[in-house]
Amino acid sequence: MTDRSVSWTDADSVARLLARATAPKRAPKPPFGPSSAAAARPMPAPAPARGSVPPPPSVRPPARSKSLPPKPVPRLEHTSDNPSDRLDALLAWTLDNQRCTGAFVADDNGLTLAAHGISEAHVSLVGPLLSALVGVRSIPGIDATAGALWLGSNMMSWVEARTERGGFCLGAVGLEPLSTRAFEQLKEALETTVRGL
Amino acid sequence: MIDTKILDLAVQDLRNVLRDGLVATDIWDRTAGLSLAGYNQQPVAVALFTRITAELESSLADSNFPPLARFYLLDMEGNHTVAVVNHGTLLQGMLVDNKRANLGILISVAIPRMIEAVARAKPR
Repeated sequence: MTDRSVSWTDADSVARLLARATAPKRAPKPPFGPSSAAAARPMPAPAPARGSVPPPPSVRPPARSKSLPPKPVPRLEHTSDNPSDRLDALLAWTLDNQRCTGAFVADDNGLTLAAHGISEAHVSLVGPLLSALVGVRSIPGIDATAGALWLGSNMMSWVEARTERGGFCLGAVGLEPLSTRAFEQLKEALETTVRGL
Repeated sequence: MIDTKILDLAVQDLRNVLRDGLVATDIWDRTAGLSLAGYNQQPVAVALFTRITAELESSLADSNFPPLARFYLLDMEGNHTVAVVNHGTLLQGMLVDNKRANLGILISVAIPRMIEAVARAKPR
């Protein structure tokens, strides 16, 4: 009788697999450079040496504390007059400073001017949405230039700014609607951006 | 007299906005068919779109449709879009690579900027 192959139980292989399985995961890289939140996160522990069974990760992820004051959000500063650069800077600022996974800028017909992390099909719903709000704004005292819409699995928060050339909309997609303060920040950033378009 | 320096600046601005998405553009007088400013100018396209625009405007009028307003678009084979902008006595054609230029920026930023710039170039 021959010995059965037990190569899959090789101690080194098992140790390497364990090391990979238990090593702390890296935070996903944000789409536009490192965000301040990611930068504040502690570095992951180095991977254990080959052949040794790794100890459990000693670094615990920082607990989300709702009691902490919100981090200050820097004002959006434009360094270029080029419309495409300004729109890209607005998207990058939004993704870095607001709790969202996608962002877009569209005109009031729902045509995408810039987008990241959201399909053009989703952006296009801005057209009928803003058209519907024209009637809502006719009610005295109703501004209706910002809001949030449940998309089914995500929440789209948007703000609108109007110029002589028409309306522009900045949207952010995330798990939750944005706060009132975030809406104000988005609106200010959008107005700063479209003023130069 | 049209101020062609303003037109040249407007074409430069259009190139800055659309970057490598702008393949060619011409601004021309629709009666003379004379190109006044442009980038990678296309005399054949000037003649073609003068004729198409005249046909389109007369067909709209004959059908009691509203007249042409600011522009019309043609979706062409090969990821190209032609925008013909109505500046009144002047017409402008833009050939755009729609893989490189964003349609939203073309319609909501580039064309309105162009219309304002060409209006400044016209005699008051």
